Amino acid sequence: MNPEGKKMAASLYGRVNAPTERCRVSFCTDMEKSVLMSNFERRGWHQVGPDDEWNFYWASTQTCRNLFSVESGYRMNDNQMINHFPNHYELSRKDLLVKNIKRYRKELEREGSPLAEKAEVVLHGGQVVTRYVHLDFIPVTFVLPADYNMFVEEYRKSPQSTWIMKPCGKSQGTGIFLINKLSKLKKWSREAKAPFHPQLSKESYVISRYIDNPLLIGGKKFDLRLYVLVTSFRPLKAYMFQLGFCRFCTVKYDTSVTELDNMYVHLTNVSVQKHGGDYNSIHGGKMSVQNLRLFLEGTRGRAVTEKLFAAIQWLIVHSLKAVSSVMANDRHCFECYGYDIIIDNQLKPWLVEVNASPSLTSTTVNDRIMKYKLIDNILSVVLPPEGVPDVRWNKVPSFEALGNFDLLIDEELLEKEDSTNSTSRTSKNNKK
Amino acid sequence: MENIKEETIHHTAMKLAEEIKNLSIYKSFYSDVQKLVSSPSVKKEDFKQTLQQAMKEKGLDTKLRNTVFHWVRTQNKQNKLDPLTSLSKASAQWEKRIHKSLNSMCSDLETSLAKIRSQSEQEELADKWNELSTYSLDLSKYRPVYAPKDFLDVLLTLSGYVPFTKEDEPKWEFAHLPLQVKTLDQLRKIYQEWANGEPLLGVNPNMPSTVPGFATLEAERIGLGERVAVLGYAPVIQEYLKKGSPQCLRAKLWSQVLGADVKQQQIIYFNQLKKNVLEVDLMIDKLIFKDVQLTASNDDQYFVFEDLLYQVMLCFSRDGEAARAAGASALRVAVKGRHAPDCLIAFPPSGVIPFHGFTMYATPFCYLYDDPVQLYFMFRAFYMRYWHRLHYISTHPQGIVSLCLLYERLLEANEPLLWIHFRNININPIRVVFKWLMRAFSGHLPPDQLLLLWDAILGYDCLEILPLLALAILSFRKENIFQVNTLQNVDAVLADLSTISVIPLLQLALMKS
Ligand SMILES: Nc1ncnc2c1ncn2[C@@H]1O[C@H](COP(=O)(O)OP(=O)(O)O)[C@@H](O)[C@H]1O
Ligand SMILES: [Mg+2]
Repeated sequence: MNPEGKKMAASLYGRVNAPTERCRVSFCTDMEKSVLMSNFERRGWHQVGPDDEWNFYWASTQTCRNLFSVESGYRMNDNQMINHFPNHYELSRKDLLVKNIKRYRKELEREGSPLAEKAEVVLHGGQVVTRYVHLDFIPVTFVLPADYNMFVEEYRKSPQSTWIMKPCGKSQGTGIFLINKLSKLKKWSREAKAPFHPQLSKESYVISRYIDNPLLIGGKKFDLRLYVLVTSFRPLKAYMFQLGFCRFCTVKYDTSVTELDNMYVHLTNVSVQKHGGDYNSIHGGKMSVQNLRLFLEGTRGRAVTEKLFAAIQWLIVHSLKAVSSVMANDRHCFECYGYDIIIDNQLKPWLVEVNASPSLTSTTVNDRIMKYKLIDNILSVVLPPEGVPDVRWNKVPSFEALGNFDLLIDEELLEKEDSTNSTSRTSKNNKK
Repeated sequence: MENIKEETIHHTAMKLAEEIKNLSIYKSFYSDVQKLVSSPSVKKEDFKQTLQQAMKEKGLDTKLRNTVFHWVRTQNKQNKLDPLTSLSKASAQWEKRIHKSLNSMCSDLETSLAKIRSQSEQEELADKWNELSTYSLDLSKYRPVYAPKDFLDVLLTLSGYVPFTKEDEPKWEFAHLPLQVKTLDQLRKIYQEWANGEPLLGVNPNMPSTVPGFATLEAERIGLGERVAVLGYAPVIQEYLKKGSPQCLRAKLWSQVLGADVKQQQIIYFNQLKKNVLEVDLMIDKLIFKDVQLTASNDDQYFVFEDLLYQVMLCFSRDGEAARAAGASALRVAVKGRHAPDCLIAFPPSGVIPFHGFTMYATPFCYLYDDPVQLYFMFRAFYMRYWHRLHYISTHPQGIVSLCLLYERLLEANEPLLWIHFRNININPIRVVFKWLMRAFSGHLPPDQLLLLWDAILGYDCLEILPLLALAILSFRKENIFQVNTLQNVDAVLADLSTISVIPLLQLALMKS
């Protein structure tokens, strides 16, 4: 059989050789999600409680923070692993993400790095602004109430544009609304300060330029959910899962003011869309990224499609580099992030947010298959070949272990490559 | 001797010229030539030479050649009557049955086959033309008139299929029908490039190229394909497609091979069809809506294209060209609310009563064209050249009956153990693959694989690849088939084709081991 045939056979009939680490790994989890449990079971791991001796903990972010807190006094041994970095929020909180990226750009600028090159661009309205050429991948964003004055200044520059307000600490589309007039924001802040809403006044928000020209397919807005696995921040080691998907709105995109409050038009979260009357539970509004690529290559051509996907990889790598210096790079940790990315109609990708606990709930049959593979592949990348957690391992998975993950960046390997053969070989990301 | 030859050439040329005059492109072509003649590049003194040169430069030469190519392809002896009267009789009976069930559905639902739409309805439909998914219709009482399974049952009666009775040996084969089909060795001669093990797209995109200057096979194919596309010469493109097209060139190449590019004239034609949809309410419109809903709307590969598909499928039903190409006989029906003399129309003008999954013939093109008019003409061109053969009964070597027979023969000759297994468990082997064949695998294979398969259909200009793929999939999964003994379980083994790599599987089947 040729290699392709073998690959087909393997994917058809599942992996034949059962893992050998039977019963040597004990796991603990806060979430008895079926895609998790079935993976642990298939590997022959046995479940223990949080107070028992575990090797592998699939925890909520809260549990993880507690474990690492000084008060807990918990110390992990070399054969323990956990699925979050203790201060993941540097990446996953909407305000901190923006703060870190702004700082990262400033630092590069100060170093005189060519990455921080700036240029003037002309916006729709004829307004001329200065933007980073290579690092302009998040919509202009301010934190409220802290940056209110800066926001007003920016707002005045193009008063016709729309803005999106998002609570920093929430997810799944809750608390989000669009704003096209300053008066609406003022009204909101008055109401938030009102005595019967004391909890709101404490909450901080981000306000971002609303990307009002998203790429539409079939007239509908969508965003990408991509999975990125990080096994180390210093040196940075990251992998991207090939089987990401597009999440479509159920209602046609419409920029008219009357639809501004219609979340079925503007928010792509499945948790929002599934309450809509037009939600289809068979496909769940999800289309694979591979099919998106097929469609773009077929209708727009190859060059622009390649450029888009290269820009997406670029964006992910730099968002990670932006936090790599502040992350607590604990050797026991790995994390799988859910990236939310919007593509605009110029085929430019924009980073919307990064989730540290992307949903593992399966909405459709294909979703379940995909998420099962995701977990399986995560486990095989983060575990040493013997299958037992061991922080002394060099974290260089074999090609086979990657499964559906592609290497995004491994700074350690890059460095080695650079020093061993000075004839520079281009890395995957610099291809374009 | 020379004289005679020249005379016949002259004669053929005259005949061709006459034929071309009847084609729809003639008017615009003629006026293009006229413009050229009056331009300074054509000289009176050396008229023939300079005109030919100018035509080459302006691409009119290629256009003329392609026109002849497309015309010749439509002239294949297909217009002869089917020699097997038993088949044509069966075919007529089957059509009668479909029409009868349509009529009874109509009377059950107290509606008519064709009626004028009210003004308000026309306006609403026109308003929602770009989002027909929001056009509210109550379709709960509408059912597809038939499904592939029903069609298969009809075909099996042709072949003299007798349901198994304990005493009687089951007879499944279409074999006693006096139709000629190819053997695997004969297929190898047709799919020569594949059988010779030449590198094909769709096996491994990173396969190194054998042509200097290209790193990978894919890069090589793109380089060559771009040149072929610029040349624009249909027979060359057809040849090129044999080894697979890169996705980025497919939309262009396919429309060039089939002469389905869109000009002003096609846009006008499409709008005419749309106008007819808006004016006249055909009962099958609801069946079309229903079919798009049942197939594309619930499919994660196609749901985003739902609105595009409503437009395309509705317009198709109004297209008389489709019926002419398929040689279909349509009913004549009076449009309720319209006055004589033009109240009688062919019902439906396309001659096609949609069956469950008919939309699948169009869905894959959504990955190539996002403009409804382009999508439309590509789908129609495929339908007129290939797909109609998959749902009409005929003795054509590319017709569904011959393809079924080919599949049976291939299976019996090349997978005798599987054949015996099917006999032992008393399942007709055609049952488990028929829907694949009838839908040309659309809806069964993921779109990237399907497009590769359809490259081969265009490249070799024949449908025999379909039964061959059915065979290849069965042999690929035979170990699992051997372990089951009910139709339901065999279907389950074959249900998920999402992991199939079409091209390597086919090439393996065609290469002599
Ligand atoms: N700047 C923006 N422009 C356009 N759409 C946006 C923008 N920010 C968010 N969205 C839409 O809102 C959705 C939810 O926003 P997100 O930042 O992901 O918050 P949540 O944590 O609630 O998911 C996104 O998936 C996207 O569809
Ligand atoms: Mg989100």
